[in-house]
Amino acid sequence: MTTSGISRRGALRMFGIGALGVAGAGVLGACAPSGASSSSNGGDTKSKDFDFTSWSLNEEAAKPAIEKIIKAWEKAEGSRIRAVSYPYNEYLSQLTLKLGGGETTGAVHLDIAWLAAVAQMGKLADLSAVALKGGYTNVALDSGMYDGKQYGLPWNTGSIGVIANSKLLAKAGIKKHPTTIEEFEDALRELKGLGGGIVPYAAATKVAQLKDIFPWMQTFGCTLLEGNKVTIGDDASVDAVTWYKKLHDEKLIAADVDRFDARALFGQGKAAFYDDAIIGKGVTAAQSKDKTLADAMQPMKRPVLRAGDKPQALLWGGVIAIVKGKGQDAATQFALHATSDRATTTQYFTERALPPSTTAGLSDPKVAEDTFTTQWTEKITDTATGSPFWQYAQNAQIEEAVAKQVQAVLVGKEKPKDAMRKAAEEVTDLIKR
Amino acid sequence: MTSTTSTTPLSGTGRHRTRTAPAGRTSRRRIRKDLLRSRIAAWSAVLVIGAFGMLPVYWLLATALSSPEQTFQFPPKLVPTDITFDNFTALAENEQLISYLVNSLIVASITAVLSVVVATYMGYSFSKFRYRGRRSLMHLVLASQMFPQALLLVTLYAVFSSFGLLNTYTALVLSFTTFTMPLCVWMLKGIFDTIPDALLEAASIDGASRWRTLHSVVAPLAAPGMIAAGLFAFVRGWNDFIFAVTLADKEKQTLPPGLVSTYIGEFQTAWPELMAASLVVSVPVVIAFMFLQRYLVGGMTAGSVKS
Repeated sequence: MTTSGISRRGALRMFGIGALGVAGAGVLGACAPSGASSSSNGGDTKSKDFDFTSWSLNEEAAKPAIEKIIKAWEKAEGSRIRAVSYPYNEYLSQLTLKLGGGETTGAVHLDIAWLAAVAQMGKLADLSAVALKGGYTNVALDSGMYDGKQYGLPWNTGSIGVIANSKLLAKAGIKKHPTTIEEFEDALRELKGLGGGIVPYAAATKVAQLKDIFPWMQTFGCTLLEGNKVTIGDDASVDAVTWYKKLHDEKLIAADVDRFDARALFGQGKAAFYDDAIIGKGVTAAQSKDKTLADAMQPMKRPVLRAGDKPQALLWGGVIAIVKGKGQDAATQFALHATSDRATTTQYFTERALPPSTTAGLSDPKVAEDTFTTQWTEKITDTATGSPFWQYAQNAQIEEAVAKQVQAVLVGKEKPKDAMRKAAEEVTDLIKR
Repeated sequence: MTSTTSTTPLSGTGRHRTRTAPAGRTSRRRIRKDLLRSRIAAWSAVLVIGAFGMLPVYWLLATALSSPEQTFQFPPKLVPTDITFDNFTALAENEQLISYLVNSLIVASITAVLSVVVATYMGYSFSKFRYRGRRSLMHLVLASQMFPQALLLVTLYAVFSSFGLLNTYTALVLSFTTFTMPLCVWMLKGIFDTIPDALLEAASIDGASRWRTLHSVVAPLAAPGMIAAGLFAFVRGWNDFIFAVTLADKEKQTLPPGLVSTYIGEFQTAWPELMAASLVVSVPVVIAFMFLQRYLVGGMTAGSVKS
């Protein structure tokens, strides 16, 4: 009878076999998809049938509106669109794998933060000529550009900014939105004085959303990145984090808050300010018991360091990109139609409250009459910029590296200067990979 | 227990009278007290650990029975006051979820059966036959567990893509088997090791072929272990997310990616519905455990001690 135990020699042998296996799997992985990937760049570009990949096709709030656009196109063009979707949090990794494996064709919906990473794969078509026909706003066009080429037709262009609760501000005797950091701090203290467990500013303090610190760093004068040089760690970024820590210590912001917590606090009238995308109004108001909350929600320019500075906001939105190969031409026309046809974009706005990306779409009465959207576009999106880290495939790791250091400062484990130096080192390493 | 009585001589009589000493009574009482104390401590520990273990299940149930407003209440309430069954009724009306459930049942069941069948032959071979390269093969099987799942996934994706197997049940079953089979093989090998060779020799003397010996003599004895291995493979297949989301499209996807796709979105997570769905879909696994748990314990530990 044999023993089932593993001797030292056996363990070593096993590691050896494991290493060989890993190497073999790598070779297999490198070889096998070559046959499949040809389909990505091959196939009939004139085919009327194509795929449309979007995470929104999973989501109850978005699915009917998108299916309506797809069905209308299929009926008008006599084509067939195969709808493909992956969960939002898995989307980029799934898309990258399937694009690399040649499984993805046609049109793909991309978060603007992912565009660079996907464009770098070399599978997307240059849509520069097509984009000229769309009548898109400049900020929208910029959101679909990478390396000087238009890889995405902007579908919805918005930003992540600060939302204020006008009812709470009035209660605290604050008559106008604070415009400078100093005024903002004063307002937060007034709000804190209301008592009742109010968190004046439900700022992100959990790693998951601590990327919200970037616009504050920019507010204090940090550029984040200059060329390939990471500027996090400079005096401005340290000042920003020191200020954030001060708000935390004075309980003007709360510990352990992410976007979901912030919406919950704001929805219950326990937070006067929080950061969200434009769609936050609908999401937060829907989960609030206070049915008048939507009317009290106001977009606010992010306070600046000195009066006259440009308010900072992070660009946010989605584009439709086209995969080279099968169905490319029809998919391009579909993307142009979905993103720029006035009737289509207006209908989509009505159903999802996502702002159009064209000048004509924004001036449509149905959009223009929506005060929240127009104010958001004027106050926040107007000066919003993309993150300089989006150009790197390691963007998620970069954001996490900085977020962890900021969190270490908030909980008192690190000094702001040391933390930002460490963050800069980590980000620099990540960029070099 | 030791006796606490003592024997003392009665003066002048030469007789002995047996009596219980007060010290003995105290000692007995103390032992009883100690016993009670240790029982209370043990039960307290069991209750605390049980409560700790059951808290996620309780929270799952409480959220499933809450309205969305109450779910997002801050600070959260431990006991829901606004109870609703809407989340369960909405679940019953969702045909797509039923389809995910059916896919899960098919894929996890086939994975379990395939893993047990293959692992039985492999484990038996490793345990009862001697041949060149046997030990290396055994270690190779186990070494496959050392592969990072992401690496296996990419490789499997590429291979299945080349063979046109993507978006099929076959792809899911084969991929799940890559991580269920090695442990099943080792688990069953350990069980076969405990079956005496003499029994096999006796069967052979009685005229049974090796095939017959395995199926008629060894397999019935190893049945609890085979059931435990099957249950293990079923649960692993049932719970897998990443292989299922990558290798199958919506039509063939199983419950874990199906639930994420349905309830976790870009802006919102439908927590009450997600919890209701999670509660309902865990029922098949709970039922399987209820019926088979007696085999599970026996099967997992069989082979751990040699006679």
